[in-house]
Amino acid sequence: MNNSPLLKIEELRTYFYSRTKQAFIRSVDGVDLEVNKGDTLGIVGESGSGKSVSMLSIMGLIAARPGIITGQVWYQQEQARINLLAGLQDHVQVSKNDGRIMSVEKTDLAWQRRLEKNMLGIRGKEIAMIFQNPKSAMNPFFTIGHQIVENITRHTQYKSRKEAKERALYWLERVKIDSPQLRFYNYPYGLSGGMCQRAMIATALSSEAKLLIADEPTTGLDATIQARIADLLEELRAQTGVTIVLISHDMGVIGRLSNKIAVMYGGRVMESGPAQAVIDHADGKSHPYTEALLKSIPREDNMSSQGHLNSIDGEVLDTINVPRGCRFASRCQRINKSIEKMCLNEEPPLATVSDGHKIRCWHFAGV
Amino acid sequence: MTQYAQTQTTVSEYSELSILQRTDKRDIAYVVYGIVILLMVVCAYLMAIFGWLPHDPEEMQLELMLAGPGAPGHLLGTDFMGRDTLPRLILVIKAYFVPGLMYIAVAILLGGIFGILSGYYGNKYETVVTYITNIIDSFPRLILMLLVVAAFKPDIYYIMMVLGVTNAPLVSQLIKGKISMLRQKNFVESAIALGIPDARIIFKHILWFNCRSYLIIQATLGMGEAILLESALSYLGFGVQEPTPSWGNMVQQGANYLLQGQLWSSTIPAMAIMFTVLGFYLLGDGLNNMLEGKRQS
Repeated sequence: MNNSPLLKIEELRTYFYSRTKQAFIRSVDGVDLEVNKGDTLGIVGESGSGKSVSMLSIMGLIAARPGIITGQVWYQQEQARINLLAGLQDHVQVSKNDGRIMSVEKTDLAWQRRLEKNMLGIRGKEIAMIFQNPKSAMNPFFTIGHQIVENITRHTQYKSRKEAKERALYWLERVKIDSPQLRFYNYPYGLSGGMCQRAMIATALSSEAKLLIADEPTTGLDATIQARIADLLEELRAQTGVTIVLISHDMGVIGRLSNKIAVMYGGRVMESGPAQAVIDHADGKSHPYTEALLKSIPREDNMSSQGHLNSIDGEVLDTINVPRGCRFASRCQRINKSIEKMCLNEEPPLATVSDGHKIRCWHFAGV
Repeated sequence: MTQYAQTQTTVSEYSELSILQRTDKRDIAYVVYGIVILLMVVCAYLMAIFGWLPHDPEEMQLELMLAGPGAPGHLLGTDFMGRDTLPRLILVIKAYFVPGLMYIAVAILLGGIFGILSGYYGNKYETVVTYITNIIDSFPRLILMLLVVAAFKPDIYYIMMVLGVTNAPLVSQLIKGKISMLRQKNFVESAIALGIPDARIIFKHILWFNCRSYLIIQATLGMGEAILLESALSYLGFGVQEPTPSWGNMVQQGANYLLQGQLWSSTIPAMAIMFTVLGFYLLGDGLNNMLEGKRQS
């Protein structure tokens, strides 16, 4: 039994090139994350903070061209440890001191072929993904059953039609769809959003994947269904031992499900650590951005004096002209005279403040 | 109020209706007519290849030149050399059938490959395909055909080949439109995430459901178009050459005698062209409305 993490992301960068602005859009700019077996890692952040893009990069699903991915994504298989992005760095030139991409010399097709080769046998089989808007993410032309059976026969040992169908019904029962025998023959348009999401979870898990990436699984569902889907994911994790990476901008869902949390802002991890440390400030230390996010959860004690809900002032970071200093500096509430110079001129390192708890802020950099 | 509710057809009811119930009666009539014509064509083809002809097509009866329909022993009359028109009409089907199918196959295969490359993979493929289709499109079709006929020989297979290649851009554009529209959809992304190979996504998840009706329609329309164009070329003398009969050259030969008041030997093959082409076109149109669902205004 080895203790190396199931997924280890090192210096992941995903840039898009904007032709009109003649510049790189740095959607993900140097992300380091670790996911251990059996964990639920919650990635939280505003829209545009790069949380979805970083996970799509791992799956090789960045379709928009020219999108550039560099870095290492180590995935622990049963025997070997493989880099999902192996070979891609040959196509880009990276600056020596801070690792930013300087120029790209990628022939699109060779790059794409390399990525596809790396992903062979990983996508679907090892890493499964569920998306937001379940109704549009299921193929409208096939029955639910057909889609699950196709996945089962492709990725598991249940090859015959009959076995696969039995297995599919088992998974439909597992995700608590009522009368799976009937739903097996339903098309996605015949199901409600919540049921569709359940069916999609069943499809993703039916290949017995080790890692499930859930990209905002509760967005687009109503509040009661959201809670049920969250419970379902937690239950499935406990039963099957699947590792989950949960992407959401909903602090409530993240706090409920995950035991590790990473807070992202402007394509960078601002804070990461155990859920108690990040959300409940168990060690009394928190990043100003996380604090601001927590203050904007709709709750009674988060109302401002005028009776409005707190919000974070300012705008989301412009990822084309990234500031030299801390990315959050322009919106930071905790900035003060003594460290202002540092905040504006130099990016703080991700400093460890307590066991497993890391914060990227000059307040804690000296610890 | 209740009456109003009863006359309304809701979306779910609509999808419960069988395909015959929800199509327009006129479209059904089109399709029925088209199928009758199609059956006649198939029958004629079988008759031609097995030689079950009502009369010897080569036998000349000089005393019965340019006879009208209903002449003794000649149901549809005779041509200027006293040959029976009916078996000659039937023989033509044999000459049209396989080349017509070849034309459809070439157009759909070539157009399909172009469409998939540019629609699904896009990028460089799209640029190259656009260049190729623009080059093909910029040639006038009839002149290209005449060039090929002049360079090689006036053979129907060459003509159909040219027709297939020149029709490929149209097919490719439509398939490309469908694919690149569906490529953006979430369900294709999630299919990729499930590890399904590209070929399977393209053919099973995208093309099979979205383009099959289109391909059927294209095939029927293409058959009609093939007959029409071949007739035009034969009429001009560039298509099938005497003594092999073709509807085009039959019309042309008969036309020489029109001013002498001998209408029939020209109009009978012309009517055969009209009814057959109309049959294929209406079949295509009716099937289009039937399978794709008529656009409601």
